[in-house]
Order: sequence, then structure tokens, then C-alpha cells
Amino acid sequence: MTRLQFKPGKPILAARLGTPTEGTWPQWGTPGGRMDHLDPYIACITGAFALYLLLRQGRLTSKVIGTLLGLGTLVWLVVIVNTTVVGEIQPGQQVLFLLFGAIAISSAVRLITHGRPVYSALYFVLVVLSSAGLLLLLEAEFMAFALIIVYAGAILITYMFVLMLAQQASDSDHSSDMPIYDKLAREPGAAVIVGLILAGTLVSATTLGMQDLPPPVVQSRQDKVHGELLEQLPKRFKAAVLAVSPDFPWPPAVDDDGHMVQWDRSGPFVESRVTGEAPEIVRIDPDAMPTNTQHVGWALVASFPASLEIAGVILLLAMFGAVVLARRQIEHGEDELRRSVGLDPIHPQEDPVAGEGAS
Amino acid sequence: MTFQLASEFTQVSLAHFIIFSALLFVVGLVGFFTRRNLIVMFLCTELMFQAALVAFVAFGRYWFNYSGQVFVIFILTVAAAEAALALALVVLLHRRRGSLNADDWKELREG
Repeated sequence: MTRLQFKPGKPILAARLGTPTEGTWPQWGTPGGRMDHLDPYIACITGAFALYLLLRQGRLTSKVIGTLLGLGTLVWLVVIVNTTVVGEIQPGQQVLFLLFGAIAISSAVRLITHGRPVYSALYFVLVVLSSAGLLLLLEAEFMAFALIIVYAGAILITYMFVLMLAQQASDSDHSSDMPIYDKLAREPGAAVIVGLILAGTLVSATTLGMQDLPPPVVQSRQDKVHGELLEQLPKRFKAAVLAVSPDFPWPPAVDDDGHMVQWDRSGPFVESRVTGEAPEIVRIDPDAMPTNTQHVGWALVASFPASLEIAGVILLLAMFGAVVLARRQIEHGEDELRRSVGLDPIHPQEDPVAGEGAS
Repeated sequence: MTFQLASEFTQVSLAHFIIFSALLFVVGLVGFFTRRNLIVMFLCTELMFQAALVAFVAFGRYWFNYSGQVFVIFILTVAAAEAALALALVVLLHRRRGSLNADDWKELREG
């Protein structure tokens, strides 16, 4: 059986990373080792069957079986990934990862199986919150909170408004007043098979092909990224150095790579460059290094300024588009305007206030 | 170096995040196919956005490259624009037929 592999291609990023010097790169087990290659596919098939059972309008027992089967599949996938793992991100808390991941995936499944759209939207909030937790594990604090504010705060409110506008008011919890199109899933079997193919491809490619990824960034490279950004922020850099040693002769010396911030085992430091004297070494407080938000902001405005402008234009156009689409065809006040210039009104007998009700 | 099972089960690797995002994407895709309510279908597309976003940040963290997070900002932009436009369209369609059923508009399809 041939293994799926990521194409090596030209590793643009890897060229900048260099070879790893620290840490070991755990290799995937030998062929025929601890996990069979078919395992990811079988896990996907059981997961797809569980999803089918949950989507099908059926008895309680099939729902219970589907839930148990789905949870079992998740656990199995975790075991598969844990035993074939390569590519460390960082020593993280797997307990937290599994908690957030399980909440996100189970509420996503509940989202697509729940009959009431309002509850689906609320389950989506749960997905957003647990994804934000995952982003926190990835040290992406800014994105985590931006996600909560933008998704859970803004986009979901829009969805809720439209749901409330469009949904017929129903006070009782009986499923009999749910519209039929909310109760019955359309072609659950075919959809699950499409999902199965996609999931099987992605999961097996990830578990079997991850070893072909170039190794992750080593700690020294991460330090360098921090130091490079600190050098780009001259005021902050100078303040960080002068806070430790007020008499430091500015600017500091440059090392062989052209960087002022240098690193050794005990952290970042700078050297003075006064000719004829022994260089003075000043250790910078590691807390003075740029935070995640500053990194993201710098990458956004320094690397993608044009995209940022385009994103603003997209938002503006979306706003215009939404206004144009959602308004009534003939605005309130159109008839008065026509009367004032001597034309016949379009709706002569209609009450002029009636036009603004729904928009 | 030999595998240390103890540390293996306390660390999170790139593969964990990619598989998480693959599963979330697939759930969103299946939801998009199976649900008939227009609004829930768009919620499922948001679910797929969510999955792509986690994968972006995970790869960005793996490379220690912040472009991944910058792309998440653009994903948020596109998601917001899409939500605004799609929901405006849904409101429009709901006004015409008085229902959110996607099958009401099946005469729009080919064939």
C-alpha cells in the first residue's frame, strides 16, 4: 500500500529556518510498527456511520448509539495521532487540547443535527469559544479574543437577528411545530459519504504524511524572530536596554548576522561598541520582548499593507451590498418626491408609512 | 532517542490541530449538504471557516511565522462580508416565499 505523502516541493520557508540544531525530531514508527496504515480510514468510517445515525430522523436508541460511536471514534483518533505523532508545536497541555477539541467537534455535530436554527446558532457560539481556547494554546492570544469579539459578538448577532426576523414565533417546545425542512435531513447518506472521503483523505494524509514536513522551528530561531522585531521598534528597544543599564552607549554592537540583539543560554543581551574598551554586556529583560499582538500587528502592516486596504474595501462593499439587497424596492418618501416634482406617485392609494415596516 | 510515552501524551503536535480542523471542516461540509434551512447552511459555512482558521494558526505557530495569524484576520473579514451579504439575500428570499427552505428555490438549479 502506498503512503500518501506531502510533496516536498521547494521549501521556501524551510530555507529560512536552517537545519535544526536543538531538540530531537521524533520519527514515525517503522513500517508495520505500532499502528496499521488502515487505522485512520477505519476510524473515519466509524465516525461517518456515527454521524449518519445522528443525522437520520430516528429513534432514541440510534441517537444514543451514534453518540457513543462518535465519541469512541474521537478517542480512537486521538490514540492514532498520539502514537504516530511527529512535529512538535510546543510542549502543550494535551488535556486542554482534548477538552476544547471535543467540545468544539461535538457542538459542531449538534449544530448540524439540531432541529431548531436558534439552538444551532448557540451551538456555533460554543464552537467559536472552544476554537478560541485552541488558539490560546497556540499562543495566538490576539486572534483568540478577536475571534470571540468578531464571531461570537458580531457575526452571530447578525445571524440571530435574521433568525428571529424570519422564524415564525413558536412558544412550545414540541417538535411538531418545527417546519418539516428543519426536521428532516436531506440525503444524509450521500452527504456522509462525501464527508467520509474528505475526512479519510485528510486524516490519513496528516497521520501518515506528517513525517515529510520539514522539522519545526527550533528555539534559537524563535528567539531570533523576537529579537528582529525588537530591533524594528527602536524606542522600545532603547527603553528596554536603558532600563537595565542607564549609561549604555547607544547604539549597541552588531553581531556577524547584522543583529543587535544576541542570544545565549540565559537569554537576550546586547553588547556596547566603544573602541578601545571591553564590550559591556547588558541583559535585556525577556518580558521586554514583543508580544503576540505586536508580532501580528507588525506582520499585518509591514508584510500585507495592500491586503489590509483591500480587506477594508471588501467590508465597505459588503456593507453597501447588504444595504442595497435588504432594502425595499421603493423607498419611503419616493412618492412625496415624485409629487413634489409634479409626477404621479407610484402607489397613489398606499399609506406612505407602510413601506418602512420590514426593512 | 526512544519514544517516551508519558511525554507523548501530554504534548500537542501540529497533527492534532490539523486533524481537529479536518474533522470540523468535514462536519461543516456534511451539515451544508444535509440541512435545508438557508440560515443553518450559512452557519455551516462559518463552521468551515472556523476550521480553516485553526489550521492557519497552527501552521503559523509551527513555522513561527505570524503570517498565519494575519491570514486569520482576512478570513474574519471575508466571513463578516459573507455573513452580511448572505443574510441580506436570505432576508430577501424569505420575503418572497415566507419560508427558509432551500428546496423552495430548486427551480434555480440546472436541468
